[in-house]
Amino acid sequence: MSRPTDLVQGTLDLLLLKILALEPLHGWAIGQRLRQVSGNVLQVSDGSLYPALHKLENEGWIQAEWKPTENNRRAKFYSLTRAGRRQLESETANWDRLSSAITQVVRIEEA
Amino acid sequence: MDVSRWISRASMRLRALFRGAALDAELDEELGFHLEQLIEEKIARGLSPDAARREAILAIGGLEQRKEECRDARRVRVIEDVFQDVRYAARTLSRSPGFTIAALLTLALGIGATVAMFTVVYGVLLRPLPFPDPDRLFLVALSPKSFLMRQPGMADRTYVQFRESDRSFQHLAAFTWYKGNLTGAGDPVVIRVGSVTTEFFDALAVKPAMGRTFLPGDGRGGERMVVMSDQLWRSRFAADPAIVGKDLTLNRLRHSVIGVMPPGFDFPNRTAAWTPHEIVIDPGNSLLVPVLGRLDPDVTVAQARAAFEAAIESVPDVPRDDRSQWDIGLLPLKELLVGDVRRPLQMFAGAVVFVLLIACANVANLLLARASGRDREIAIRAALGASRARLVRQLLTESVLLSVIGAALGVLLAHWAVPLLLALAPAGRIPRGEMIRIDVAVVAFAAGVAAIAGIVFGLTPALRLTRRRFSRTLLPGGRSIAGGHERFRAALVIGEIALALVLLTGAGLLAKSFLRLRAVDPGFRTENVVRLSIELPDSTYSTPGRLQTFHQEMLSRLASLPGVVAVGAVNWLPLGDMHLNGDFRVEGAGEDAPFNVDKTVASPGYFRAMGIRLLQGREFDMHDTGTGPPVVIVSRSVARAIDPSGNVLGKRIGLWGRENSREWLTVVGVVDDVRQLGPSQKSHAAAYQPYLQMSRNLFLSNMTYVVRTVSDPLAAIPAIRNVLSSVDKDQPAASIGLMRDVLDSATAEPGFYARLLGTFAALAVLLALIGAYGVVAYSVAQRSHEIGLRRALGAQDRGILWMVIRRVVSLGAAGVVLGAIIAWLASRLLETFLFEVTPTDPATFIAVALTVFAAAVLAGVIPARRAARVDPLVALRHE
Repeated sequence: MSRPTDLVQGTLDLLLLKILALEPLHGWAIGQRLRQVSGNVLQVSDGSLYPALHKLENEGWIQAEWKPTENNRRAKFYSLTRAGRRQLESETANWDRLSSAITQVVRIEEA
Repeated sequence: MDVSRWISRASMRLRALFRGAALDAELDEELGFHLEQLIEEKIARGLSPDAARREAILAIGGLEQRKEECRDARRVRVIEDVFQDVRYAARTLSRSPGFTIAALLTLALGIGATVAMFTVVYGVLLRPLPFPDPDRLFLVALSPKSFLMRQPGMADRTYVQFRESDRSFQHLAAFTWYKGNLTGAGDPVVIRVGSVTTEFFDALAVKPAMGRTFLPGDGRGGERMVVMSDQLWRSRFAADPAIVGKDLTLNRLRHSVIGVMPPGFDFPNRTAAWTPHEIVIDPGNSLLVPVLGRLDPDVTVAQARAAFEAAIESVPDVPRDDRSQWDIGLLPLKELLVGDVRRPLQMFAGAVVFVLLIACANVANLLLARASGRDREIAIRAALGASRARLVRQLLTESVLLSVIGAALGVLLAHWAVPLLLALAPAGRIPRGEMIRIDVAVVAFAAGVAAIAGIVFGLTPALRLTRRRFSRTLLPGGRSIAGGHERFRAALVIGEIALALVLLTGAGLLAKSFLRLRAVDPGFRTENVVRLSIELPDSTYSTPGRLQTFHQEMLSRLASLPGVVAVGAVNWLPLGDMHLNGDFRVEGAGEDAPFNVDKTVASPGYFRAMGIRLLQGREFDMHDTGTGPPVVIVSRSVARAIDPSGNVLGKRIGLWGRENSREWLTVVGVVDDVRQLGPSQKSHAAAYQPYLQMSRNLFLSNMTYVVRTVSDPLAAIPAIRNVLSSVDKDQPAASIGLMRDVLDSATAEPGFYARLLGTFAALAVLLALIGAYGVVAYSVAQRSHEIGLRRALGAQDRGILWMVIRRVVSLGAAGVVLGAIIAWLASRLLETFLFEVTPTDPATFIAVALTVFAAAVLAGVIPARRAARVDPLVALRHE
């Protein structure tokens, strides 16, 4: 297994919002899901996940709720708010623009 | 941003702020859950539970630091931290009460002195005058500076011309004041009456509470009217609501009351009543009167200044170049009241800043001393994720908390110190006393001082403390590093000693000057002398004959009182507030050598009663009357001017000027010179004439009786009062008291300055010594290991003692040298306050330097002795 790629600064927010847009999850599961859907390429370090989540919560983009897990443990589940959904849309659009721009630059044939 | 998101964010913040503990618990639980999941995962991969746990914690990168980051995300950190820091600081401070009490006391003294001084300075110099738009009010000044006229003024003649031509001012008023005898309203009493031109109240823009003020033309037709103060109306007229239109008797003349002013209005300077001032221009004389004006709203100050300069072009006698001896221009009106206390107040404000600086340096020192012991605490906090900024902020909170409490105590202290300060000041010498109070402005000032002081003395220790390499501190057995602050702390102490020395030098110079002043022989003897001054109104005492009869009656009745040794009368009392001088000529010496003398009038017996030595000839006697040959007694320096060989009896001099008839007076006696204007002024040459030979009211209506008693002069005062009322029951005493008090009050001001600066200096020295003691004691404690080692290796007690004392000596010497240099440069600021002492008086400098040095060494002896007693075994086991 190759080392997971470090996340580009600022893209963590986008990824978290996207993952939470699919379904409400607790912190641990978010990390698992991110690794899983990116085919083990992307991994958020255990240390930076929670500060990022708390920041999003304070921005009002996600909200938290304590719920039991499948093995009946209490865990804090995060879900997207309406404002979060709008934020996700605009960040996705931004990302699309940025990434296609980078792709274009990277693919320029060297003369 | 949409509303729902805003609301959710706001509720998050509130929850974060007020339910922080609950959030922390949730955070613990959340991270705990994560950790468990991580451990389970690692165990599932085949690790032992212990190893799994260790790896999980490493992976999560220091749980506590993560928690801090999550808390940061709540965005209420600043507020939350302040609460937390204050709580923490309070707890830390209460855990070291010795330090806290020392710091608080120091701060309370420093800030208290500063606040007390500020209260006075603010009340006197800064608080605006209680009139509408006070910054549009100006004194229009065009007068030579003089000792007798303390206020800047303008010749009345010039005022009339200027008022005609001026276009800058809405109103221009001239005013002066006199003492008036109020009769028919309780006992006769002397009140201050303002004699003001009709523009006066309009210029100040104050409206009467009742009736009216003056209208143009009032006072010109000869009808007498008066406006009275609220205070007079209440105290003497029982607040009669129908007072307007009634009469009031002032100087035996009926004045019709036309108005009563609102409470608190007593401008200028405790005036009880105002009468219209009519300017009568005398071609030969002019009266200097203060002039105040309210600028027109459309005119700027610069424009008015330019117009004034243009207007005075044509005034004769105005100096064109050197104006240092004149008051010329538009001065703030407040200058009238505060002009000559500005310098002293500024001096004391400066002195008190020194005290505050020393207090700050002391607390900084204490903080540094304590800081060294806190290395580990700080290192642990840093390791747990506190950033340096966060640590500095927390340490600053502690110092600001100290200074805020210190300031609160200081304000409390000032609350007592201000009345004390005012009570110590010579009566009537602090103007605008009613403006001096502790109020919002003062408390705001104290808060500002506290904040600045807290940061000033807290920042350096906080920065130095957090600069360390923490890792070494935390190593097992790692010693806290003590020596690092030593040099800085030594610099602080040297600075403190230097500042204290500067203050003490200033105080020493003032004290020496004061003692010199007290030692001056005024030329008269004050013990057992009562003086009674009167001002007889022209209305009743209209001729010289009536005045002379009154004085004769008074003198003979006073002389017959039991216990009275000698009685006399003089018109211009030494150290009084009036005198008159002019030229005299010697018969046969030609016109070319006029000589200026005080022209004084006295009665037979005056010199004996006043204790002025008779050097040659005789005193006045009962034969020196209008029918006898005109005679004069001259003072020693006049005699020397007439004839250096001292042979003056029988010579004739002329005192003619505008006031005297042109006749020759025969010299019948010579008396000692008297310091007429005060002990600090040079002796005045004087020529005395007998009062029964005077033919002008001017020389006779102001008179002071001087009564020398066998014993306790105070006991004679009631009888002397009775004599006055038996001669004229409507005649109040302008003043009555002991001659000794007159002399004392003439030196009261320098005495007060010397005491006040002395108090500040004592405070400064005390604080500096505490500082020096602290530094030395601390360094001894820190070096006890080393000292123990030295002793174990055979060092003698004396050697150890000397090692410590050497340090004090070097600190003290450095401070004294630095302070002496500063004092040398700064003491010239005191020059105007010094009498017969130069600002760099070597004796004072040396005495003060030795005192401070000796005190500093003394402060070091106690810790030195403790160092010498260190038990090597204990010291080596230490740590």
